[in-house]
Amino acid sequence: MIEAAGLTKAYRHHLAVQDLTFTVGPGEVYALLGPNGAGKTTTLRMLATLVRPTRGEARVAGFDVGREPLEVRRRLGLVNGGMRVYDRLTGREVLAFFAGFYRLEGRAFREALDWVVALLDMEETLEKQVMEMSTGMRQKVVIARAILHRPPVLLLDEATSGLDIFARRALLDFVKAYRDLGHTILYSTHVMSEAEELADRVGFLHQGRLVYEGTKAEALAMGGGSLERAFVQKVREVA
Amino acid sequence: MKDVYRVFWKELLQVFRDRKLIFSTLVLPVLLMPVFMFGPSLLMGRLLQGAAAKTQEVAVAGLPEEALKALEEAKLAPKPSPDPQEAVRKGEFPVGVLYEEGRYRIYARLAGGISEGQVAAGKVREALEALRMRKVAEELARRQVPKEVLTPFQVELLDASPEREKAGGILGFLLPFFLITFILSGGQVVAVDATAGEKEKGTLEALLMAPVPLLHLALGKTLAAVAMALLSGVAGLLGLALGGAWAARTGAGLLTETGQTLELGGQVALDAGSFLALLVSAFLLALLMGAVMVSVGLYARSFKEAQSYMSPLMLLAILPLIFLQFRGLMTVQDWHHLLPLFNVALLMDALLKGSATPWQTGLTWGSTLVYALLALVFAVRVFAREEVVFRN
Repeated sequence: MIEAAGLTKAYRHHLAVQDLTFTVGPGEVYALLGPNGAGKTTTLRMLATLVRPTRGEARVAGFDVGREPLEVRRRLGLVNGGMRVYDRLTGREVLAFFAGFYRLEGRAFREALDWVVALLDMEETLEKQVMEMSTGMRQKVVIARAILHRPPVLLLDEATSGLDIFARRALLDFVKAYRDLGHTILYSTHVMSEAEELADRVGFLHQGRLVYEGTKAEALAMGGGSLERAFVQKVREVA
Repeated sequence: MKDVYRVFWKELLQVFRDRKLIFSTLVLPVLLMPVFMFGPSLLMGRLLQGAAAKTQEVAVAGLPEEALKALEEAKLAPKPSPDPQEAVRKGEFPVGVLYEEGRYRIYARLAGGISEGQVAAGKVREALEALRMRKVAEELARRQVPKEVLTPFQVELLDASPEREKAGGILGFLLPFFLITFILSGGQVVAVDATAGEKEKGTLEALLMAPVPLLHLALGKTLAAVAMALLSGVAGLLGLALGGAWAARTGAGLLTETGQTLELGGQVALDAGSFLALLVSAFLLALLMGAVMVSVGLYARSFKEAQSYMSPLMLLAILPLIFLQFRGLMTVQDWHHLLPLFNVALLMDALLKGSATPWQTGLTWGSTLVYALLALVFAVRVFAREEVVFRN
């Protein structure tokens, strides 16, 4: 699970994230909603140990992101919209390369590969070089790379960005399936319809602050059946 | 170490799947080195032979009959001109000669490289020198003085270099120069692709998510750059060896700025120990430069920016090698063996000449290893700086 308390990230001239406190439990999809520049990516990068918090703390799967980064990374998968994998390697080579870091080798790798290929329906990507793949196929490899070690916590940051309609549908279905396996998912997006479909709970992020947190049903009720209206209403209240 | 190897292998696999890159980095040097080193001298040699065989017109003024005859005998065609200097300056003649007050003045356009004017001027000079010698001999004979009085003794300059140094010849300088140049250019290919290239392509973030210490990632990338650097160095040396073999068959040499060809030593006789020492030196140098290039590449936002940083880095690295030419004029001191890059070049030169000492070798290897480790630590620190990693 994810526990963030007073998480803050300050850059030289601005506060990207301010005093963020929230938790995401097992088997839950938490949608972190906000426009570009709201602080979603910075938040996910802090949780993924890629960026150090200026203040506050966070624990992922019971490990502190600041003090135990390697333990956190072993239990975490991260997918973002801009993430790519190596063009000149085949899907199988990409997955074998990353699997090795989690000590998934030999039979363990083959089993992990069978599992992820079945889950994402990506048999055709295995022997192709990434540069020969369609956008959807590449995104499957990116996701497979992130979940091959079956992390209990998955972070997705604008993960459908740039995907065509089929690839986007496949990704949304995957998120539901992965949640149903009992894993913790933090889903960051500015596309409200995706949150409406996937989220159990939502958090509205505006200028680095969490201005609202609640269940999807509560947020929808506040916005008259629309998360977008709820978001705009909440942001206007705090502005 | 498994993770280091994994990163190392991934970087090399990517590079080796790029055929164009392999061709330009490993194959092209083998093909181009002989052409680059010996082609100009072969071509120039033929052009010079052609120019020497041709009859050139010479603008002349005030020349006595005997001088005109001497010029004609030397395959030159004297043509009267009121002002030979102006005629040459205007490009009407390749060479001109003026005789006044007992002095021959030869005019040719000497600036701007080797030209037909220079060849013609040489022919004029030789013809007039021969005429002078003939006249002196005639005068001595007339006065019944033996011509040996002109040469009471001979002066000879002989090469007293040790055999191995003599055999190495100019290769003692060229080999380190080319080896270092190829190491830099080959290492750069992987260093840029593995750092700024990863950033630009959006693959770095996924790699940084791996549960691996940054040192392992930096070391894997650096070693991949080192491997490519050494392969490129070997390709360059292979090209040099092929060029040498070709030069030995055709009689070509290195072209100097005066148009003369400089013979290569032709053979580098290295014993197994020196050869091994040369390899260790090349490896340590590649390790140092690989770590530096990985740090610089990581700092760059994009592939293009990284390449723009690499060019001055290359120049900076080659600068100490220029000073290697003057090693014969300076007294090499211990601290010279601590100067990065220069010390390796100095050691390679000494190894080829068989003059390297254990002290020099130890100082060079030790200091280069320390510099390489410092550069590696710096690379890891750069890797750990989020504002650098996410700069793009």
